Amino acid sequence: MARRQKRFEVLEQRPIHKDGFIKEWVEVGLVAMDSPNDPAAGIKIQGGKVVELDGKRREDFDMIDYWIADHYIDTAVAEEAMGLDSLKFARMLVDIDVPRCEIIRLSVGMTPAKILEVLKKLNVVELMMAMQKLRPRRTPSNQAHVTNLKDTPALLAADAAEAAYRGFSEVETTVGVVRYAPMNALSITLGSQVGRPGVIAQCAVEEALELAMGMRGLTHYAETVSVYGTEQVFIDGDDTPWSKAFLASAYASRGLKMRYTSGTGSEVQMGYAEGKSMLYLEIRCVMVTKAAGVQGLQNGSISCIGVPGAVPAGIRAVLAENVATVLTDLEVASGNDQTFTHSSIRNTARMLMQFLPGTDLIFSGYSSVPNYDNMFAGSTHDCDDYDDYLVLQRDLQIDGGLRPVTEEKVIEVRNRAARALQAVFEELSLPPVTDEEVEAATYAHGSKDMPDRNVPEDLRAIDEMMKRGTTALDIVRALAKHGFRQEAETMLNMLKQKISGDYLHTSAIFDENMHVISAVNDANDYQGPGTGYRLEGARWDILKDIPMAIDPEDI
Amino acid sequence: MAQKEMNLSPELIAEAVKRVMASMVDSKVQPAAPVSGGGSARPDARKDYPLALKHPDRVRSASGKKLDEVTLDKVLAGQIGFDDVKISPETLEFQAGIAESVGRPRLAANMRRAAEMTRIPDERILEMYNALRPYRSTRQELLDMAAELETKYGARVCSALVREAAEIYEKRGRLKR
Repeated sequence: MARRQKRFEVLEQRPIHKDGFIKEWVEVGLVAMDSPNDPAAGIKIQGGKVVELDGKRREDFDMIDYWIADHYIDTAVAEEAMGLDSLKFARMLVDIDVPRCEIIRLSVGMTPAKILEVLKKLNVVELMMAMQKLRPRRTPSNQAHVTNLKDTPALLAADAAEAAYRGFSEVETTVGVVRYAPMNALSITLGSQVGRPGVIAQCAVEEALELAMGMRGLTHYAETVSVYGTEQVFIDGDDTPWSKAFLASAYASRGLKMRYTSGTGSEVQMGYAEGKSMLYLEIRCVMVTKAAGVQGLQNGSISCIGVPGAVPAGIRAVLAENVATVLTDLEVASGNDQTFTHSSIRNTARMLMQFLPGTDLIFSGYSSVPNYDNMFAGSTHDCDDYDDYLVLQRDLQIDGGLRPVTEEKVIEVRNRAARALQAVFEELSLPPVTDEEVEAATYAHGSKDMPDRNVPEDLRAIDEMMKRGTTALDIVRALAKHGFRQEAETMLNMLKQKISGDYLHTSAIFDENMHVISAVNDANDYQGPGTGYRLEGARWDILKDIPMAIDPEDI
Repeated sequence: MAQKEMNLSPELIAEAVKRVMASMVDSKVQPAAPVSGGGSARPDARKDYPLALKHPDRVRSASGKKLDEVTLDKVLAGQIGFDDVKISPETLEFQAGIAESVGRPRLAANMRRAAEMTRIPDERILEMYNALRPYRSTRQELLDMAAELETKYGARVCSALVREAAEIYEKRGRLKR
């Protein structure tokens, strides 16, 4: 070109031009939901046993095939379900006259390739309609990330308190330095209860350590239990469907909720996609989860979102994997949890796919901290986007799980959480949380506003605490001893939830009275206009009342 | 639901495999054992859930404490230990029945494995999990673990899961080399 066209020069400066895109590349699995290598759907059953699955004979099964054939497929409905025309079943997903339970009944008779065939027939609006009808819990909700670059505990507690107060029903932390895990877990578990009783907390680290912390009551649930769609990647992830199922039951045996994690693109990223489409492999992950008797799954590409995000229809495939999850009656924590684009337009468009229909947990999670403090490699939205998010809820009359708040109240809960943590640290002989740290955490935007701690000293103290066998009961006692009786009661009540096991059920969260809300007592009953979850009444009054709005009475 | 310790026999293995297959694959509702002190009626989600609200009197922790006995004052007086805030196998069995009553047999099966695992100490559970990871155990080591699950902990469903793993790991070359 001899001369540039000026509009093109401007377009090239836009943030979207920094994103990575790639044309489909079937051999390595860089294809969203339609690879020529995806098998044809089919099943053969002999004597109540699956002897052929999607064209593969039993003697050729890999581990995942065995697991799905023997623990997912319900041979009593398989023939009926597989005999159903895929287009017909696709229409049933969006047909308001077909109840959710009928879809669920048939789903366990279908093979991965069959469900792929069905989902390929839906466009994104239809996929959203399916999500609206099929998510297990009627009431949608949201999860927050609570992390920071310094693993500084007072800030973790304050941020967890604010996140809980703003309406997130789950909070998730992880670590910069692995040995900080128990302290981070303790900080957000306590902080979240100060912000709003009944919020559940997790700390995402290596599987065995995560379980060990849960066993002591330092967390309430777990999510970072990864599963994959090809055997080689599963093995490279250092697990098998059997070890993961054992782990799942171990959590339940201690009264702890848990879900698995998977996502499109992980097999491509780890180099063993077998040339299959990302969605096909992800449907296998969904079935691995269901077969293990795990109540739910975090998916929506998660940490691999750059991979589906780079190929055509990738973001549609991400929504489709969320739908695959709910159509097999699993709780879905639907992603939106990693920065994947430089474009705020694209970022929000991707998020609307889950925000509009509502999911069990729309984000998994939303970054309640500034992007630089997010130790999960960012999220699609963060604490600086809170007001935008509240306006989106108000514009569209959609419950995205967050409510408007006042600055005074946020300062109050942040401060109280940091002070409560200070008391617990003193009692547990952890290196003190200073008054300066409490003050800084109360008013901080992020960890840049926090003084540094003596890291080696913290780590030594954490190791000692774990050796001493400190449990959540020690935290309860410490709180009560230092005048935080209300918080002590709340922490104890959360421990008592593990005795009754009510929150082991599908899609379970707690309301502010610590009553469980799950797909058992709040089952999704959507069947078209006038049914299902509606944002109205008292809840709508709360969500629409943003402080930014002018009151006509003031004019 | 107290389980007797049993000696290993081929009949027992066959029975255990049958049981795990039935509970994990079959979507038909399995009869649930009664919760202790709760009568013999099968759990019904509409009447019995959430258990903490509908039947707080029936819930016992692993150590046998009632929910309303676990109070802050007792914690402060040193009368409540961590075993008093652990779930019992009976409660897990009851919740498995609830899961079945709302059409979730696989979740129920998971809860039944969990009920068995309440009898296994934390440390041993973590070791067993690690032993099930790829290339960690020989076939015999897995079979020994399955036998331990069955005889020491009365964990028949878990035992069958480990036996199945031994078989598949061998077929797929994932045993200790």
